[in-house]
Amino acid sequence: MITFGILSQLAALFFTLLSMGLLLAGLGRNNVRLVESGKRGLLSALAATTLASIALAYLFLTDNFQVEYVASYSDRALPIFYKATAFWAGQKGSLLFWAWVLSLFIGLVIFSNRKEPDDRNTPYVYLVMAGTLSFFLFLLCVISNPFDTLNFMPRDGQGLNPMLQNPGMIFHPPTLFLGYIGFTVPFAYAIAAMITGSSDASWIRKTRVWNVLSWVFLSIGIILGGQWAYVELGWGGYWAWDPVENASFIPWLVSTAFIHTAIIQERRGVMKVWNMVLVQLTFILCIFGTYLVRSGILQSVHDFGATGLGGYFLLFLIVITVGGVYLLAESYSEFKTPGSVESYLSRESTFLFNNVILLALAFATLLGTVFPILSEVVTGNKITVGQPFFNQVNTPLFLLLILLTGICPLIGWRKATVSNLRRNFLFPGIVALLSGIVMVAFGIRQTYALLAFVLAAFVGGTIIQEYVTAILSRKKLTGESSPGAAVKILWKMRRRYGGHIVHFGLAMMVVGIAASSAYKLEKQATLKQGETMTIGDFTLEYEGFRQYEKYNRTIYAARLGVFRDGKRIDEMEAERRYYVNAKQPTTEVAIRSTLAQDLYVTMPGIGQGNEITLKVAINPLLIWIWFGSGLMVVGGVLAIIPSRRRES
Amino acid sequence: MSSKSSILLPALLVLLTIVLMPASGIAELTQTEVSESLICYACPGEPLNIDRCSGGNQMRDVIQEMLDKGKSKPEILDYFVGQFGDSILTTVPKKGFNLIAYTGPFIGLLVGIPVAFLVIRRWGLRGRKESAEQTTSGEPTALDDEMRLRIEKELSELDKED
Repeated sequence: MITFGILSQLAALFFTLLSMGLLLAGLGRNNVRLVESGKRGLLSALAATTLASIALAYLFLTDNFQVEYVASYSDRALPIFYKATAFWAGQKGSLLFWAWVLSLFIGLVIFSNRKEPDDRNTPYVYLVMAGTLSFFLFLLCVISNPFDTLNFMPRDGQGLNPMLQNPGMIFHPPTLFLGYIGFTVPFAYAIAAMITGSSDASWIRKTRVWNVLSWVFLSIGIILGGQWAYVELGWGGYWAWDPVENASFIPWLVSTAFIHTAIIQERRGVMKVWNMVLVQLTFILCIFGTYLVRSGILQSVHDFGATGLGGYFLLFLIVITVGGVYLLAESYSEFKTPGSVESYLSRESTFLFNNVILLALAFATLLGTVFPILSEVVTGNKITVGQPFFNQVNTPLFLLLILLTGICPLIGWRKATVSNLRRNFLFPGIVALLSGIVMVAFGIRQTYALLAFVLAAFVGGTIIQEYVTAILSRKKLTGESSPGAAVKILWKMRRRYGGHIVHFGLAMMVVGIAASSAYKLEKQATLKQGETMTIGDFTLEYEGFRQYEKYNRTIYAARLGVFRDGKRIDEMEAERRYYVNAKQPTTEVAIRSTLAQDLYVTMPGIGQGNEITLKVAINPLLIWIWFGSGLMVVGGVLAIIPSRRRES
Repeated sequence: MSSKSSILLPALLVLLTIVLMPASGIAELTQTEVSESLICYACPGEPLNIDRCSGGNQMRDVIQEMLDKGKSKPEILDYFVGQFGDSILTTVPKKGFNLIAYTGPFIGLLVGIPVAFLVIRRWGLRGRKESAEQTTSGEPTALDDEMRLRIEKELSELDKED
């Protein structure tokens, strides 16, 4: 199976390079048959990467520890579902997963174009995607081969990092990768359009689903990463502005900007050059993120698989950046289209400002992430840039963005009149103002938190106002019931309301983030059995202790009774786990989630006579972050469900 | 549903937020808030709020003791800076080269916003020119009216769609 895996990878590289040659020859000689052969070669590469992936999965499932990668990330006692996770736990497997998904996406693009003859762009699209695939296959075959073997057969593997033995980690890396890799498709279409000088919006229309889907996957990946940090790392937070987290967040910000301006190009035929810049920047930042993670140049709590691949990623990064800039400069005159609006107050203008803020956020995050390197180069002193810096710089920018999120959808294309603005902004404005007054009256005084609540209320107000108005209009026109009209509007105008749902989810997240950051309670105590500790309205009683074995770990669990107003309302169990092959024990968080707050308990220590140290926190409204992010994903998916009317 | 409801619903949302917020949770300084500004002295580069090593535990114990004594965050941070120097902080000191990190994004904004205004101004000039050309190009014909109606209809559909 090892040889089979190696041969499959080599075959994939061979087919990809062959396809590139055939596509280039087909383009040079204007020969359709050669282009068709090139496409078939790429489908063969898909088959070969699939076989290589099956081979690696098989080696994990059969505990073949002669394979160095399997021995490094798995052991016999590892539960079977974590053996599947181990596939992408390290760099080599991640690269193979990347190559497989990319070849799958190439196959999907070929499949989706099957009904229409190749236009002058599509061979270039395949060529760019094949070029990217060949880079990853080269790394796999020559530099970082997951099928490399050891000179001996170890009895057991080293096991998977205990922190990665969490259900969230089964889905977090693949979804993040799906997002990163998905952006290869719009990037390839953009490059193809620049090479051929096709300045219409067809590439934008063709890649809309890919853009939004990649954005959705990237969002899911980021959310799952945050949830993993919250339930696994045990520090009580979900986002630490760690370099690896930032590496996924920066392309997310730029792709969000691109999704917005792509709408303008689609509708108004302007901002063509800018969209080219954004789509390239998104892809470049995806590769840059991978470079940051893989090069090990920055220290990260997520540093699970860094090795010396940084140089190759840097080279690839230089090639795509220089190539992209060159093509943009060459095709600039063809893509330059002056826009036309009749007023500063138009949706085009607000989208442009939203882009400025999103890019400022991306720049601030990027600057903070690479600042330790810059500072070391310039001053010789490598400083650490942590959470307080990012919170300080990014929070005002985020608040501006939330304000624009409320304003943008209320302003019409080309021109908005004063009466228009008064009609649309009056009610959300009143809601925001009232919410501010009520909150101040209730003692909420932290400036940023207060602003965040008010702006979230404004965004929520604008969306609900528009939805209610649309329901009323539909009821009047069709005589449908309110629930019927509500559902039909969502479905019939899913692109528009998908966007609104995303914005509503964002507003919910903002409320959750502001509340859980500004009004968090925290307490630490050491308890003997029968003793209690109090935090906020809750009292925790240490009721019992047990020790047991499960899968590949020994678990020490403390049972805690949860009391409120003297009444026992729940029971929680905080754990410390000692994994086979792990050097240090890990804490397993106990969380009691309600709409109002999370009661978050970790057990950092166990002393003599099973005396336990507990660290307890109350995180207000934290679940709103997960609900809000879930809504964002639902909205994104709703927005890309194709409409039959449009297709016809 | 009337327009009053469209005010009522978001207002209820806000009220729900307030009711759900624990009344006692008014901005109390926590160990995490302090430790997120510090690096574990034993694990360079790792923020103390995430670190879980024994060296970090010593630092956390000191923080907890100081919090119990009613010390403020700056006082606690000053104590650690006194012990280990500036490099113990995750906050970038606002001096010298570091000022670039703080000002860079806002300089970007200061450049980006006027550029956006310029772009919109150019679009506006063109838009107004187009409108003027339309109005001065002779008597409107039946075809012009038809076209205008069509354009208006398509524009309003655009507004409905997105």
